[in-house]
Amino acid sequence: MKKVALLWMLLGLTFQSQAQLERKLATESQEVDLIFHAPRNINLLTTEPVDKGTLHFAIMHTFGTLDGGIRNLFGIDNGASIQFSFEYGFNDKFSLGAARQGLDKIYNLYGRYHFFKQTYDDKVPFSLSAMGGAGVNTSDYSFLIEGDPSLANRTSYAFQLMAARRFSDKISLQVSPMMAYFMDMNPIFFLEGDQNLYLALGFSGKYKVSSKASLTLQWIPNLNNDLRNNVGLGIDLEAGGHVFQMYFVTSPALNEQYLLAGGNGVPGEQFRLGFNVNRVFATKRSKANW
Amino acid sequence: MRYVGIFILYLILFSSVNAQEFKGEKGEIVFISQAPLSEFEGKSQALNGLVDFDKNLLDFFIDLNTLKTGIGLRDRHMRENYLETKKFPFAEFTGKMKTVPSLEAGKSQNVVAVGKFKIHGVVREIEVPGQLTLQGNELLLKASFKVLLSDHNIPIPTVMFYELAEEQIVNISIRLKKTN
Repeated sequence: MKKVALLWMLLGLTFQSQAQLERKLATESQEVDLIFHAPRNINLLTTEPVDKGTLHFAIMHTFGTLDGGIRNLFGIDNGASIQFSFEYGFNDKFSLGAARQGLDKIYNLYGRYHFFKQTYDDKVPFSLSAMGGAGVNTSDYSFLIEGDPSLANRTSYAFQLMAARRFSDKISLQVSPMMAYFMDMNPIFFLEGDQNLYLALGFSGKYKVSSKASLTLQWIPNLNNDLRNNVGLGIDLEAGGHVFQMYFVTSPALNEQYLLAGGNGVPGEQFRLGFNVNRVFATKRSKANW
Repeated sequence: MRYVGIFILYLILFSSVNAQEFKGEKGEIVFISQAPLSEFEGKSQALNGLVDFDKNLLDFFIDLNTLKTGIGLRDRHMRENYLETKKFPFAEFTGKMKTVPSLEAGKSQNVVAVGKFKIHGVVREIEVPGQLTLQGNELLLKASFKVLLSDHNIPIPTVMFYELAEEQIVNISIRLKKTN
């Protein structure tokens, strides 16, 4: 009996030492990559972080409405509403951005914070981030009879939460409760709303059609006003370090406050062609910074 | 008495088997991509390795999710579009040495490993020249080889042709400890 047991023991140990190494993942709760292609999906910010020490540059355009037809080259002749933005990642959780929207010459400062990220093992089922920002309208209104609005009356604020989940390799969705507050709704501003506080729910969607391209969707139903809801449909293309986003959207607005208070055209004929270019720059030499 | 004898015999066998087995799990791996417009490196310090001289067994693997190129977005694109780490998380090599060297402490020995290299789900037979150095209880292993992405069914889109090299140079360096 003892002999047999000893033999087993020997065999067991021999087999054990013959085996290859067990393949183990370095981290069991691997974070889900690329819920969206870029820190923005159409016009809305996403849960995609700007990595530590990197700078995300985005240039966004929307043109005129399509209903001008071929004579206006489907709105392109009307000129573009443009926003430039730079967002710098201080660490993997927090980034600060500055944006300048051509419409009403708004400078926006904003921060994004990423609370947690979805993991493949579903221990964390979704990613959650928040964004807060303030903007100043720097247009010249000295021609107004009542004079230039004060700095305070040119100020607006935006706040939003972003909860995003990648449901499968192809499908990602984000829900963003959004809020915008204008200190003063001066009728000279390019805004349609007449109240100070705007609440809305932003929905962002991505459907991956190939390894480098996705169809994208944006829908922002307003919660406390009768303005038309923002609708956007587009395509994201990844090309090297760039993400190109082309879309149709109902509003020329590009910053968060104007998306909620700026008003929207009817989807279809009043769609506007939009185009974003996203680029990430590493500010430190990649070799030196591991 | 007889059992004691077997036991001693077993102990001798057991210890001699293990005396020549080395393991490590913090090896460094660097890959270098030299494309016309862009040169970058990816690096990880999570290479796991096993060298067994008695059985002439080499076994290495790495969780590809641990590779970092210094730009987070590039890492995410690498994992998602090229290596597809969700489907194929590991790169692995299992093989043997063409000739098993007899090691002298402190002296480097050149060895050639032959075996199966697997990445992106595609297995290929490769031959890798390397260097072994015995330092006390530790074995230092260095090796370098090339991987053609097309060999492993990793396509490079035309727009990336100038930014990502088809031929990736892989250098590994790992310190393995004698197991007891």
